Amino acid sequence: MASETIRTAPAASLRSRLPVNWLGLLPFAAFALLFLILPTMKIVIGAFQRPDGSFTFANVANLNTPSILAAYWISIRISVASALLGCAVGFAMSAAVVLGGLPRFIRGPLLTFSGVASNFAGVPLAFAFLATLGPVGLVTVFLRTQLGIDLRLLGFNLLSFWGLTITYLFFQIPLMVLIITPALDGLKREWREAAEILGATGGQYWRMVALPILFPSLLGTFALLFANAFGAVATAIALTGSSLSIAPILLFAQIRGDVLGDPHLGYALAFGMIVITGVANGIYIWLRARSERWLK
Amino acid sequence: MSESFLSIRSVRKSFGATTVVQDFNLDVAPGEFVSFLGPSGCGKTTVLRMVAGFETPTSGAIVVAGKDVTRLRPNQRNIGMVFQSYALFPNLTVAQNVGFGLKVAGMGKADIDARVKEMLALIKLPEFGDRYPYQLSGGQQQRVALARALAPKPKLLLLDEPLSALDAKVRVSLRDEIRLIQKNLGITTIFVTHDQEEALSISDRIVVMYGGKAEQVGAPFEIYNRPQTRFVANFVGTLNVLEGTVSDAAAGKVALAAGEITLPGRLDGARNGEAVSLALRPEAISLGEKAGADTRLAGQIADVHFLGSVIRVKVAVGDNVVSLDTFNSPSAPPPEIGQPTGISFAASDLLLLR
Amino acid sequence: MRRLWAWGAFLLGLLYFVLPLVGMTEFSLKMRRGEYSFDAYAKVLGDPRFQETFSYSVVMALFTIAFGVLLVVPTAYWVRLKVPRARPWIEFVTLLPLVIPAIVIVFGYIRLYNTSSWLPLTGSATGTNVLLMFGYATLALPYMYRAVDTGLRTIDVATLTEAAQSLGAGWGTILARVILPNVLVAVLSGAFLTFAIVIGEFTMAALLNRPAFGPYMQLLGANRAYEPAALAVISFSITWLCMGLIQIVSRLAPKPPSQPN
Repeated sequence: MASETIRTAPAASLRSRLPVNWLGLLPFAAFALLFLILPTMKIVIGAFQRPDGSFTFANVANLNTPSILAAYWISIRISVASALLGCAVGFAMSAAVVLGGLPRFIRGPLLTFSGVASNFAGVPLAFAFLATLGPVGLVTVFLRTQLGIDLRLLGFNLLSFWGLTITYLFFQIPLMVLIITPALDGLKREWREAAEILGATGGQYWRMVALPILFPSLLGTFALLFANAFGAVATAIALTGSSLSIAPILLFAQIRGDVLGDPHLGYALAFGMIVITGVANGIYIWLRARSERWLK
Repeated sequence: MSESFLSIRSVRKSFGATTVVQDFNLDVAPGEFVSFLGPSGCGKTTVLRMVAGFETPTSGAIVVAGKDVTRLRPNQRNIGMVFQSYALFPNLTVAQNVGFGLKVAGMGKADIDARVKEMLALIKLPEFGDRYPYQLSGGQQQRVALARALAPKPKLLLLDEPLSALDAKVRVSLRDEIRLIQKNLGITTIFVTHDQEEALSISDRIVVMYGGKAEQVGAPFEIYNRPQTRFVANFVGTLNVLEGTVSDAAAGKVALAAGEITLPGRLDGARNGEAVSLALRPEAISLGEKAGADTRLAGQIADVHFLGSVIRVKVAVGDNVVSLDTFNSPSAPPPEIGQPTGISFAASDLLLLR
Repeated sequence: MRRLWAWGAFLLGLLYFVLPLVGMTEFSLKMRRGEYSFDAYAKVLGDPRFQETFSYSVVMALFTIAFGVLLVVPTAYWVRLKVPRARPWIEFVTLLPLVIPAIVIVFGYIRLYNTSSWLPLTGSATGTNVLLMFGYATLALPYMYRAVDTGLRTIDVATLTEAAQSLGAGWGTILARVILPNVLVAVLSGAFLTFAIVIGEFTMAALLNRPAFGPYMQLLGANRAYEPAALAVISFSITWLCMGLIQIVSRLAPKPPSQPN
């Protein structure tokens, strides 16, 4: 009798209390729904609708033109390149400070600067690079007048794949530093020592222990950097005007003035962007689940 | 000692201006189990890390099996080490952890599997090969770490406070297990600990360290019963100290507030009137009359702690308070506070501290 | 050897980051022919459009911060206290703005809240301002939520709440007088970050046609030579200021008790 009351009481109170507790999340849920989920859903649904609201694949099929595919392709290439390079360089800088024996006092300023630089995106960043690597920029002029190297003759143009990639690295690298430094701090000294005393070389330690442990963080940062570059509109517009046709600039022009003539093509363009960043993150989540079996 | 297997010769280590280890000498025989015992910061871990190769001595040499390894990198030394924090690789299974040293040495897969199986049987975790470290308890993790260190058949086993992170019960059982495995394999072992009970129970010899120096080296029995310095006497075990003055050096007489003690032939070289400290282990003192006792002092029960099988009694003797242990007996109630009593002991059990 | 490699990597990285900053600063000083001057800055600061757009963005940033704090602090608190099971979901949602490009989100706004929709926010200037503010709050959500959640981790939310309740405090009092002061440093960090994001934001403001600082900078960049560089320097200084303030605030804060690993 007594044991029965004990057993049923918590269940009853759980049932009656649970919805009340979840109600506390209502404001947040409403906000997320109205200003994050629904707008995105609207795009996704709109991509499969005719102007009259009926279902169609025509909008998505209309993306299959050389100019739009080229825009997506160069966007993907820039995003992959700047994410890869950002990960590599950011990792090297962070490792140099955390593991490479650089003086400790560099660490604080590096992290603060990374906080600044990772947020220094958009229009002003474009100005900074124009003033440096543009036709009359500091480095361009220095190389031409002092060393006789003409970047333009070498085929370098800020308004190109490499120009945009180099510019994006200015916020990609610091973002990597900010995320990977705590992960590198999490590598215990004893792991390295245990590997060493068991006879492993530095390379073997990195290949068999450190990199597998860091892999989820590296992967997650890569996915984040990819999305970060893929959706970067302001930097690209301020840098190139609309002379370089990348996916977000195309979408921007489409929203601004429907220059492509078909309003529902805008939905399809945006949907394409969601799919690409979605796939990038899907791959990340899948790989992470595979590589994290050893995590709690 | 020509048969020494590990030889640490005049090793000194400084970090900048601070000297952490000064002039450390030790010879360890093959198969011997030596403990480094001392408080934190005494340099015991630094000596161990120099043997492992993680630190380089400022001067001196370290010789293993006749070969000078002082400048050798850790991965060339063929030494096994167990860390306080287990330091298992979290991304590898138990079997992969144990096989790590074999794999980096380039051993074939079949041989690795056989050796890993053997090691897991040795630590009594044969079914755990496919688990990840987080799925194991602390004691199990440390056993895996031991297996990992032993798998490549190292010449020397270093244990850096391997039991400190464990619960009391696991600590004792794993301690005995480590000793058993060590004896069966006959592997020369150095064990660093700050826990004197651990060191006393497990070692062939103990090195008590303090301030970067070896205070005393000897068998546990010797360290406990014949401490050579005040530090060793205080650090190892509980000690009662009786303060007195030499009243007759030639006759070996010391005057205490509560009476007089005679130490025949042990005060040679002392001056009359010199202050001395006499130390005594609690188990050497009896309440009332002890068989073989030759010294008796009068006192008063000051405090009684009932600890179960043992009752620790504090007796005020003059200016000094002396702790002693009596066994619990269901028929005899513990003494009452304030009750006058006498204590007795053999004067030969007294340690003279200067 | 390793140290040499480390210094090499570090110095190369440093060069990459310093050169553009030097470049833009140098360029911004070159407006007067043949000598360095602050002419470009004087021009920019004297421009009424600069003053208008800048103050517009500052006001928007303040509203965004206020809204963000009111939304995030109670939510993060409630999740920790009462519905820890919802945490993975909430975290997932707060990370979405890092994955869905801002231009896609704002495109959704334009289509969802246009003049002929059920909630015609874009029909009036005030409505659009409110929509833009929500948009900014969305962009800042990942940073704000993380900052506050990290701050809450260092205090014992349950015990503090029970202590306050046993003294008769209501939920409002607990949040405003007990929880908020304890996570103030985290909230301020999130606030400064939000400020930096809002001041420079371009896409949302441009597509919603609001007179914000970001679109103004872009417009100027398309038409002038030296003023944009001066603007970039000003903008960079503002970002520095925000990050510097975060540093100062977190250094002034009492350290949380160190937790065992």
